[in-house]
Formats: sequence, structure tokens, C-alpha cells
Amino acid sequence: MTRVGDKTSPYHFDRHAPEYRDRFEDITHELHASCPVAWSDTYGGHWVVSRYEEVFELARDHTLLSNDYDPEGTSTGYKGISIPDTPRGRSGFLEMDPPAQQDFRRALDPYLSPAAIARWQPMMDDLSHACLDEWIEAGRIDFVDDFANVVPAVMTLALMGLPLADWEIYCEPVHAIVYTDPSSPTYLEVIEANVAMVTRLAESIFAAREYPRPGIVKGMLEAKICGAPVTDEDIRDTLTLLLGGGFDTTTSLTAHALEWLSEHPGERDRLRAHLPDLIHTATEEFLRYYTPAPGDGRTVTRRHEVSGCVLDANDRLYLSFAMANRDPEVFPDPDELKLDRTNNRHTSFGLGLHRCIGSNLARSVFKSMLTAVLERIPDFVCDPAGAVHYDTVGVINGMKHLPATFTPGRRVGPGLEATIGRWQDILDREPLADAVVRRPQTEQG
Amino acid sequence: MRVKVDADRCQGHTLCAMAAPDVFELSDFDGHSSVRVEVVRAELEEAVRTAVNTCPERAIEIED
Repeated sequence: MTRVGDKTSPYHFDRHAPEYRDRFEDITHELHASCPVAWSDTYGGHWVVSRYEEVFELARDHTLLSNDYDPEGTSTGYKGISIPDTPRGRSGFLEMDPPAQQDFRRALDPYLSPAAIARWQPMMDDLSHACLDEWIEAGRIDFVDDFANVVPAVMTLALMGLPLADWEIYCEPVHAIVYTDPSSPTYLEVIEANVAMVTRLAESIFAAREYPRPGIVKGMLEAKICGAPVTDEDIRDTLTLLLGGGFDTTTSLTAHALEWLSEHPGERDRLRAHLPDLIHTATEEFLRYYTPAPGDGRTVTRRHEVSGCVLDANDRLYLSFAMANRDPEVFPDPDELKLDRTNNRHTSFGLGLHRCIGSNLARSVFKSMLTAVLERIPDFVCDPAGAVHYDTVGVINGMKHLPATFTPGRRVGPGLEATIGRWQDILDREPLADAVVRRPQTEQG
Repeated sequence: MRVKVDADRCQGHTLCAMAAPDVFELSDFDGHSSVRVEVVRAELEEAVRTAVNTCPERAIEIED
């Protein structure tokens, strides 16, 4: 018997269409109720997995689903995580399978673990306050352009060991390539800016070979993947992946959280009054509710039955973390944002071997920015007329602009440029960006 | 209550240590979790249940 969502009776699902953003909750609950694993006729046909239980089961099975990207067709021929496939480079180790993928993660983990990230707390707090200092006397700011774009970008470069002053070369191109429609007149400019960015990145990698500085770039130059040094191409692709992952996602989360708090001033005041009690649950809830990276594509490696659907080898499949995060079976009142929600096992960083490697940085930078805003400009009001969301949420659920006004206050530091300069001096002297050193696990008692 | 973390399932989401920092310890190296003590004191049992329900990989097992 056919049912909607089988290959013979597809469910039309287009996550790149503006309608998906506008009707996200309706489409999500329709899929949950009628076909939690659904075949869509879009982009050459692919499965869409929306319910938590199925996303959980499938995302964690790395022998059933492959991330491999092999456009030349020299091995698997798989098409990676992007549906539809577009001409592009590999998204680093995110488009690899074990064992190479695990070797990349082992090389990068000691730069991104909770202990590694904790070392950066003073710098991220300084940057958050420096951004606010630039605007606090004026009583207005754009939370995306002047704040949430800046801190994650500078921090990501710092962890890599790249020159901090280059942040503007990287910042806008990384965002614009995600939100600019390839058919728009500005797309050529975006491509040119991305070429300039990749050129600067290549120069910096070259410079790091001559004069290695502490950081992830040096880590990549020294790493062994399946016993061999990392190729120039893989270094470039890995760093580009980390730039994209480090910039746009945290920016999106922060902008959406600040917009929501402006729309709910009572909840904003409650969060401010009970910040130590609420900041962790609130952060996880903003992550769940807005899911900055809404999902990923995979390729099915073998025939497999799930919830009455038969997946065939080589089928393309989309795991929707955003829709799993709205499953009423797992999250009571899933479409309500509750700052004190507990038992929040959201999938916003993904699940399984490909879980976001930068999650500790993302959380810390987000908390630093949120805390600074609540301390310094607690009565901020965002201007709905000036707020600009991405037209579509197929890749990132993001925002382009979020202007806000507030009661002016006093500067506390020397401003952004001087703060970045001061931290560059510190990084030139101290090995803050080095990998943490493995220490023996504590005895279990 | 006894508690353990399945090292093969844990992917280092770190939510258990947020829920019950006295029970779960994160590796400095990769953020993966292990238990500080296998037998949980009564006053920490509720926090451990929260950790179990918060783990996205369902990597924490308890025995009452």
C-alpha cells in the first residue's frame, strides 16, 4: 500500500524555499505526524528525516550513512553533505568518513575541548565589551554587524593562530556566501570577496610553514592522517570548514536570542536577575529553538528499513536537526521557548561521530556576548523594521541585520581596534593557542 | 545508584557535566565524559537522572 512519503508518492519538501522558513512549524508537525521519514521529489529525490527517534537512530549509524564527498568518482562516488550537490571544494573532514575523519578530530580536539576553550574566556569577554564600547555612548548598535559578527570571527582566527587584524577579510565573505542567492546581482562581489579570503588564507598557511605560530594551523601542519601528513588541499578545506562553522552559526544563535529577548522583556529581565541559574539552560534552549545549522545531507550505504520505509544504497538523505528539536515526544510544548527547560537533549550540534567540534567555543562565546549585553545595555529594544533574517534557512538559520537602541552608557575600555591589538600582542608572546596537553585520567574511586 | 558512561557512545557534548559536575568529569583533551565516582550519593541522584535525560547520545547508564 502506498502512503505519502514513499518513493511512489513523494512528499514535496524544499528546505531552500522561502516557504519552509515561513511555515517551518506547520511543515515540521505535518511531517512528524504523517511521514517522519519521507521521500521528497526535490533535488533529484532524497529522504527527509524529521522525527527525533529516527534522526537519533540514523545519525549515529556511521556505517549506514556516509558523509563522504567524492565528486571525481574515484572511490565511493558519494556526494557529501550538501543537497543539492553544487560545484565546490570538500567541506574538510565533515565530508569524510572514519578513519581519516577521526584522525582529523583527534588532531583538532585539544584546541577545542572544554579545557582548551576555558583559556580564552578573558579574551572573549574583552572583545564582547569592546564591541559594546564602540556604540554604548550612541545608544544604538546593530547586534549582527557590530557585535555578533565580530566576536566569533576574531575568536576563531585567534584559535587558528591567524593574524587577528585580518578578521574583516574573513568575516563578511563567510556570512555572505551563505545568505546570498546565486542569481542576485551582488553574488559576483561575494565570490570576489571569497577569492580574496581564500588567497589570504593560503598566504597565511604558507607563512605558517616558514614561521609556525601556536594554533590550529600549526596543528594541521604537524598532524598525521592515516599515517601521512595533511595535504595542502585538506589543510585549506579544513580551515575553511572551521571558519564557516565558527562564524555564521554563533552569530545566528546570538542574533536570534537577542531578538527574542527584546520581544519578551519580562523574560529578559528574569534572565538578567537569575543569570547564574538560568544561563546554561537558556543557552541550550536557544540552541534547540533556533537550531543555527538546521541539518545535513548523507548518502545511504546499504539497504535499510526504518519506520516502514526502505532506504536503498546510494539514496540521498537529509537529517533535520531543526525538526527533530521540535518533536513533542521529546520536548513538551516544543514550539515554546522556555529559558529554564530541563532534559533538553537537543540535536543542534548534531549527533554521533560528526557532532560539532566547536560546540565548546560556540557556547562560551555566546554566553560571553549575552552576559555583556545584559550587564551593559539591559534595556535594549530591537527594531523589527530593521531586522533582516536570511531569506531561506536551507543551510543556516541566520540574520543579516538586527539594529537596536538602548539607554546610553559609559565606555569601560579602549574600543575594538585597540583591544584586538592588545590581544595580538599577548598571543605573540604567550602560547595561549597551543593544544592542551593530555593528562592522565583521574583515578576512578 | 550506580552510574557509568559508555565511552563508545559519548561524543563529548558536555551536558552531563553541566547537570551533575560532581559526578561527571570531562577529559581536558577531547571533552569526553567519565564518572568521578561509580556509586552516587543520594543527594546527587536527581542531578544524575537529569544528566541521563540530557545526554543526546544516551551514553549514560544507571542502576538503582
